Amino acid sequence: MGHPSLEDQYSHSSSLVDNVRFSQQAPIILGAKATSAKINLLPAQQEDPSHYVLLEQLFLSCLQTGDDKSALQCLELLSDRFGPSNERTSGLYGIYEEAVAKGTNGLEKCLQKYDSILSENPVNLPILKRRVAILRSMSKPMEAISSLVEILKAVPTDAEAWCELADLYMAQGMAHQAIFCLEESLLVAANAWNIHARLGEVLYICARSGDETSGQYLVRSIRCFCRSIELCDDYLRGFYGLVMATLPLLDGKQGDTGFKISAAQWEKTIPAATISKLHIFAKRRLEHIIELRSSNHQLWESCQGEIIAAKELLDSLQDTT
Amino acid sequence: MVSQGLEQTIVRDPALFYWILIPISIVMILTGILRHYATVLMNTPPKPPSTLAESRERLSILRGVNLRNNASAVLTKEAFEARKNYLVSAYQNGEFLKDPENRGQAPANPMTDPAGMEAMMGMMKGNMMMMIPQTLIMSWINAFFSGFVILKLPFPLTIRFKSMLQSGVMTRDLDVRWVSSLSWYFLNLFGLQSVFGFILGSDNAANHMSQQMSSMNPAAGVNPFQPGQDPDKLYQSEAENLEVLEHFCILDGIEDRILHNIAPKYGYTF
Repeated sequence: MGHPSLEDQYSHSSSLVDNVRFSQQAPIILGAKATSAKINLLPAQQEDPSHYVLLEQLFLSCLQTGDDKSALQCLELLSDRFGPSNERTSGLYGIYEEAVAKGTNGLEKCLQKYDSILSENPVNLPILKRRVAILRSMSKPMEAISSLVEILKAVPTDAEAWCELADLYMAQGMAHQAIFCLEESLLVAANAWNIHARLGEVLYICARSGDETSGQYLVRSIRCFCRSIELCDDYLRGFYGLVMATLPLLDGKQGDTGFKISAAQWEKTIPAATISKLHIFAKRRLEHIIELRSSNHQLWESCQGEIIAAKELLDSLQDTT
Repeated sequence: MVSQGLEQTIVRDPALFYWILIPISIVMILTGILRHYATVLMNTPPKPPSTLAESRERLSILRGVNLRNNASAVLTKEAFEARKNYLVSAYQNGEFLKDPENRGQAPANPMTDPAGMEAMMGMMKGNMMMMIPQTLIMSWINAFFSGFVILKLPFPLTIRFKSMLQSGVMTRDLDVRWVSSLSWYFLNLFGLQSVFGFILGSDNAANHMSQQMSSMNPAAGVNPFQPGQDPDKLYQSEAENLEVLEHFCILDGIEDRILHNIAPKYGYTF
């Protein structure tokens, strides 16, 4: 119960600034847990799932900011409630051990431990995923990919795993496999605008290769970004991608972008006038979003990097015109 | 027949109120709470798959369902055809089955199959938790309180309510506004949902409406196959569903949709 405001304000995110601030709340949240152990008369009020979600988020943030002690405290609270053999708790425990492990030897030990857990219960999904993550951080991408493929054979409806596989393939430069994986994850979560935008990015990278199919890839990329915008018309990455993907198809801009695409490759699918309208719309909307987020202090802090990158893009476009 | 305008009066001992109405209500609430905790204790969660192959057999059917539902939102024609052909041939050849050798054999009798037996026991337990307390309390009320008229409703009702409000009292001419003790039990049985919701939280097991819903659709999402069902049959029918699927894509013409629908929202017109 107790902290609805905290939950709204803080959760583990990709922004480091937010995570530092969240993990600084650790003593307050953990302290409140210790004192709020009073008896509730109505059983309906005793258990609150969001309570434990908050603890999990706090655990991840603490680990990221190096506050291992608080992280261990969170973990103990969780395993007090759910038992150390619970799949999710054991996965979190694995994350903790990996975080405090020293050097490759420590990671090897974690890996052996995971293998022994998996020999008892081969369908422990969090541990299976941790194993892939360890293999990846030990820079054994091929093993990571093959064991992730094994997981996905058993659990083909896990969008998260498909995205991770796409990322692994992308790191190896295997863009076509990555496209397949992203499409699979979109089949599970069809309305995820971030995955649509990611698929657009991968298609855009494919289009840069410069063979005769690259025009088709670029058109598909534009459509993916459009879909992402249609699903969430406030998504900075979608507009950024749309600006980038329409740029090579504008008149007289091809030389600057390094694309070698003849008009015959794409003109049949999208008319040139539409492309330039889309480009202008995306650019204006991007300017608008940057303006809006720069003026709001909290928004600015949480997505600084994205805004700076978008600003740079717009500035470079200004220079060339 | 009851003549209009003439109030029926029955002289009741006020003790009837304290010794029948209130005890029945309290007993009903307490059994509801007891049933909730008994169900929570006896409830065995649906068994997770024990091997990767089993998990594969369970979830691969969902892949076809997802393809049918979401393909139009994502895939190009080539990608769609490739996936469709792969899934249809894999379903027809039984590639996702846990043990492909047993394909085509009659499914194991759920009465002898231990896993099926367990699932059936779970359902039995759930039903028993509903049946036994209800039977006990109803026979208790029948034995001790049958035939009492305990309550007069403050508003008139039509004759149709007679069977609902006066079960156990066999008088033809009694006004419908009088409520018998057995009927009070039934009213409690169906009317205490919100009380349980307040005491036990919204998803409590005393709420037998949710119980009925869940027995209709046991553990949706965890195991799409019910005990005794042959996965191969489901795969075959899913393959047929996929075969008749036509490709269309909502990504076609999305550029114009953006320019017509999204752009004007922000004051840009083209």
